Amino acid sequence: MMLDFQSVTLRYGGIVALSELDLKIEQGEQVCLIGPSGAGKSSFLGLCNGRIQATNGKVILHDRDFGQTRGKELTRLRSQIAWIPQDLGLITNLRVNQNVACGRAGQKGFWKLLMSLLWMGRGEQQVVSQLLERVGIAEKIFARVDHLSGGQQQRVAIARALYQEPRVILADEPVSAVDPERARSLVELLTTVAREEAITLVMSLHDRHLAQRFFDRVIGLRDGKVVFDGAPNDERVQELYRLD
Amino acid sequence: MRRRWFFLGALFFCFWGLWVLEANPVELIPNQGGQKAAADFVLSALHPAFDYEDSELQGGEISFLSKVLHALWTTVKYALVAMSLALVIGLIGGVLGSRAWWSESRFSLEVLRIGVRLIATAARSVHELLWAILFLAAFGTSPLVAVLAMSLPYGGTLAKVFSELFDEADGSAAEVIRATGGSGLVAFFAGIMTRSLPDLATYALYRLECAIRSSAVLGFVGIPTMGYEIKTAFEDGHYREIWTYVYVLLIVVVFFEWWGSRIRSLLSKGVTSPLSEEKDQSLTDLWKGRGRSTFLRASLVLIFLGMIAGWVTEDHWGAGVKWEQRVKNLERFGGELVPYSVQEAHGDWSQLTPWIESKMSAEGAEAVWRTFHLGTSSILLAGAVSLVVILASARTLASRAPRGIRSGGGFLREAFGMFLRGSAMLARAMPEYILAFLLLQVFGPTIWVLIFALAIHNGGILVRLGAEVVDNTSSQASEVILSQGGSRASAFWSTLLPASFNRLILFLFYRWESCIREATVLGMLGVSSLGFLISNAKTAFYYDEMILWVFLGAVLVFVGDVSSDLVRGRLRR
Repeated sequence: MMLDFQSVTLRYGGIVALSELDLKIEQGEQVCLIGPSGAGKSSFLGLCNGRIQATNGKVILHDRDFGQTRGKELTRLRSQIAWIPQDLGLITNLRVNQNVACGRAGQKGFWKLLMSLLWMGRGEQQVVSQLLERVGIAEKIFARVDHLSGGQQQRVAIARALYQEPRVILADEPVSAVDPERARSLVELLTTVAREEAITLVMSLHDRHLAQRFFDRVIGLRDGKVVFDGAPNDERVQELYRLD
Repeated sequence: MRRRWFFLGALFFCFWGLWVLEANPVELIPNQGGQKAAADFVLSALHPAFDYEDSELQGGEISFLSKVLHALWTTVKYALVAMSLALVIGLIGGVLGSRAWWSESRFSLEVLRIGVRLIATAARSVHELLWAILFLAAFGTSPLVAVLAMSLPYGGTLAKVFSELFDEADGSAAEVIRATGGSGLVAFFAGIMTRSLPDLATYALYRLECAIRSSAVLGFVGIPTMGYEIKTAFEDGHYREIWTYVYVLLIVVVFFEWWGSRIRSLLSKGVTSPLSEEKDQSLTDLWKGRGRSTFLRASLVLIFLGMIAGWVTEDHWGAGVKWEQRVKNLERFGGELVPYSVQEAHGDWSQLTPWIESKMSAEGAEAVWRTFHLGTSSILLAGAVSLVVILASARTLASRAPRGIRSGGGFLREAFGMFLRGSAMLARAMPEYILAFLLLQVFGPTIWVLIFALAIHNGGILVRLGAEVVDNTSSQASEVILSQGGSRASAFWSTLLPASFNRLILFLFYRWESCIREATVLGMLGVSSLGFLISNAKTAFYYDEMILWVFLGAVLVFVGDVSSDLVRGRLRR
């Protein structure tokens, strides 16, 4: 079992963000979270890498309960989970290769990361270059991130996630700010790479068409509750948005 | 409505201040004898000296220009060395005073953060000139004292600003690093510090420019920088030599401002690759063709080497005074800091309060009050004048096509705008203290000299900051007014000013705090205020009194600093 949510409830003060979640995600699964704004998608992803602690219940990753894990064990656990936030979390005044190097910040520690940022060795450059080739922007390896287009920046974020060699990738609406064609190609890229590497992918999306086209499993959330959990062609997917 | 109240309040405070300061416009007209001296002094500005005015010194071993260059290098050298220390203090203090490096919130960390910020604010509350006077009295004359006097308040300022920059930096990259297993320190370094680097460098470069001005001013208390030469030339009646030093100082400060702005621009915008990045290029080719700036690299290396050269080329940091002697000096100074009444009463500290009360009621309270009004009236005057100058000098208004709309007025308007921008640059390049010193020679010892010096320097800064805000404010309403045949003034007063009002007021408060700080020392030129009391106490070796006035000045600046922070915080929200 990869990720296991056991009776998970999350409250912010008096507001219930997620209520009594019980679900499992297997290694290598491609899961899409859909639902209207405020449904609890970001909170769900926050629980997946322990950024947010459940108010009740357990979130278990590889037989480790996030609520009980501390120190180095937590660091080790987190270093297996890549995260692509909505705003991508890139350091825009640094070059692409330096941003990708930050994918291994947890594994490298301070001094090795410092060396990578100041003077990246040839070997590491080659690895980063191969990753960038895979996401289609190898020629941008030494460009400053703020000189890239929105779509290219998203590819940098994907390369940074892959450089981490994770077992899970969490992506929080990573294509919300790009046009439909670019969004399609990025979701396709992420799902293809994740499938090839047998990486578990949990992505939240607004666009149900993308969810239905590229994912094996769709989890629909509304008001912090799982409304459905199943195949992407489930009719209830359309229902979720119609009610909104 | 709120804007109207603000303008009325500002007007009231400005005139109230002038009334408290007894600033009578009649004082601006020098008497018969004074007019001749003032005219001589002003006219000599047209003929700066290229050789000694004293014919006996001409043709000597050291030429006048060598002397000028030596004073210039000493000024820049002490500024660079002080900044190298201030940067270390600022970086350490900046990190400890920020929340950005914490993995989790803890009470002990919060106590540390607040403590560091308070120390930083306290260090910068005392003007570098006052630190220099204190250190000179405590340790005796030496270049190291001058450098320390600058690096303490500058380090405090850098620590305060750096910690704010760290806290305000976009933390999304750091959050990703933390969420993927990076420690708080790694996340801070890679996610926050690297992202803030252009802002840190920008501010440090601006402080370097300020440090050159401060270094020049320290000459007035005996450190051999430009200020010392200016003061000596004045005492010898060599007015033309004064102007040579002033012009050289202006050129250097303006050069540093230009240099800093180019570095800032390169750091924040980066350099795009000159070559087209092809898909099949090798890593080596891509690396060679990456966007980079030789100017930027050379500049940073040059500043770094300059700092090292500053440390290495000074032979007498300690001025040859032995350590034991310095300790003795310090002990003597420490003894003299004990108030006279306490000494008289054989160390009975219960005499302290009556002593402070008597000093305050005699002259202290009035001096603090006058210093406060000096800073406030000056900045309000600067603000009022700069509003009008901004209208005529902002690039998007002083052009043939204001805000992109073709309009009347051509070359002359652009030329006038350029002239005003140049004048503002010169105004801010000139240290307030030296400006006051020069104005003193023209108008004689009147409070107007201090008001004008503060208003001119700070007006130059406000014009630059304000014009940038107006240029960057997008206002379709102003474009509508201009396209319907409205004047630039109508567009400015009715749309651009209201749209940029909050930011302009933010800058006004930021400079008000600096004005109060500067006002605490300007009185040392001989015009009644806190600085005047400090200067008198120093001359009479009444160190107990001197420290009381310095402390009062620090309290005034501290209060100004904190209240300015509060107002600016509210305006930002």
